Amino acid sequence: MKDQFLGYKRENGVVGIRNYVLIIPALRQYNMLAHKISDMVPDTKVLISLGELGRPREDRLVLQRTMVGLGMNPNTASVLIIGSEKGAGYEELKIEKICREISKSGKRVEMLLLTEEGGMYDLLGKGIKVARDMVLEASRAVREPFGLEHLTLGVKCGMSDSTSGICGNPTVGRVFDKLVQAGGRAVFSETTEVIGAEHVLVRRAKNEAVAQKILKAVEATEQKAKSIGQDIREINPIPENIAGGLTTLEEKSLGAIVKAGTSTIEDVIAYAERIEKPGLYFMDAWMSSLSLPTGYAASGVHLFLYQMGGAGVPGMNFPLPAVSSGIVTPIMYLTGNYNTYERARDNMDFNSGTILQDMETPQEASARLLDMILQIASGAKTKAETFNYQDPVELYFQGPNL
Amino acid sequence: MYSQKELVVMSVKDNVGIIKEAMKKGREILIADGESENMINVREDIPFGFKIAIQDIKRNDIVYKYGEPIGIASMDIKKGTMVHVHNMEGFRGRGDLNV
Repeated sequence: MKDQFLGYKRENGVVGIRNYVLIIPALRQYNMLAHKISDMVPDTKVLISLGELGRPREDRLVLQRTMVGLGMNPNTASVLIIGSEKGAGYEELKIEKICREISKSGKRVEMLLLTEEGGMYDLLGKGIKVARDMVLEASRAVREPFGLEHLTLGVKCGMSDSTSGICGNPTVGRVFDKLVQAGGRAVFSETTEVIGAEHVLVRRAKNEAVAQKILKAVEATEQKAKSIGQDIREINPIPENIAGGLTTLEEKSLGAIVKAGTSTIEDVIAYAERIEKPGLYFMDAWMSSLSLPTGYAASGVHLFLYQMGGAGVPGMNFPLPAVSSGIVTPIMYLTGNYNTYERARDNMDFNSGTILQDMETPQEASARLLDMILQIASGAKTKAETFNYQDPVELYFQGPNL
Repeated sequence: MYSQKELVVMSVKDNVGIIKEAMKKGREILIADGESENMINVREDIPFGFKIAIQDIKRNDIVYKYGEPIGIASMDIKKGTMVHVHNMEGFRGRGDLNV
């Protein structure tokens, strides 16, 4: 029986696993109104803007890619953008430009302008009215069966301990291999944690150009670390890694890269850059649990896999590092450490620590993981999705702020 | 990858293994991977998930895991002892070494 999930077919043929109306404030000034519209109308998500003023061009492009990418994500049914007037603001972020880009997907995009509505009170009321109509329309969509080739997964390893590299990450890696073989898309990232393992990655680069991109990305990150004159070990590995048995960055990196499996690396993409073709991609970006899910969502990822170690995270029922930072992209928590799973069953979706307990073979665990992913893709919630909480937004800005 | 009840060794090149259940000083671990046999006397308590030297390692020797270098020994490490931040260092991203 072919691996399948039930998803929403969108206008341009892509398939979504969730069905949100996304509200975007075109300028930071409109955050409050966008937030209030989202409060009043269920099944909406809002991208609170971090502000565009005083940012260099590269960072404005990050903001642009994030807005457009979240709008284009197949989990987004339709988009409502609110702002002041056409032509306002930086070139990259003009409201009509953002609308035009997202409209290329064929989905419904509504633009509401303060100067046309008459003022903030009118804009708020109109926004609520339009959002309600959009949610009604989206709610009529029906899920249909689709194969793995329509799925895009992204992975991050967090709070890594020694089970990450020998159990948890390889379990995800095997699923990634299956996904890519079926014609699907996959992405991994966290450039700092490739330092010490890049020679392993470049062997799998699609061609010399991609190999060079990987090496350049890692070299640039290592230079950044050195340029602050600090021992990188004071920053990464983080205290939780060291408490969990990982000793050096190289060791962490070698264990980290296995989470992406063994497929050819098609290309290196920038933070929040959209994935257009099947295959495995490396996103050159920061490991933050707040910014990376947002970046993956903008690149088109349906479901974010957070592969946790957890030995260095104290306590019972500890809160999650990130709840909803994928905004339109749900987050699933996995671990290869059965002790972590036992301590946080309310928050952990999947345990592959069964392998280390000799209760399951690696292949059995991966098959079970894929089954759960397909279930989640078909509408079953992840545990994090049962919280009503929107993480603060953090994007991968590199500055300087001027 | 070689896996048994007490530990995992990721590659034949490795000089460390990863402890699968917390080890008490005095335990003996026999690694029999079909190629050879290696009896390890556990010289100190080692927590779950931490590394144990499966051979003697000299100061400045490379420590191998996954068949790759993960750092260098900052002092002599006897077989059967724990390998971690107190006796091993990384060599990448070291902004401190340029100062």
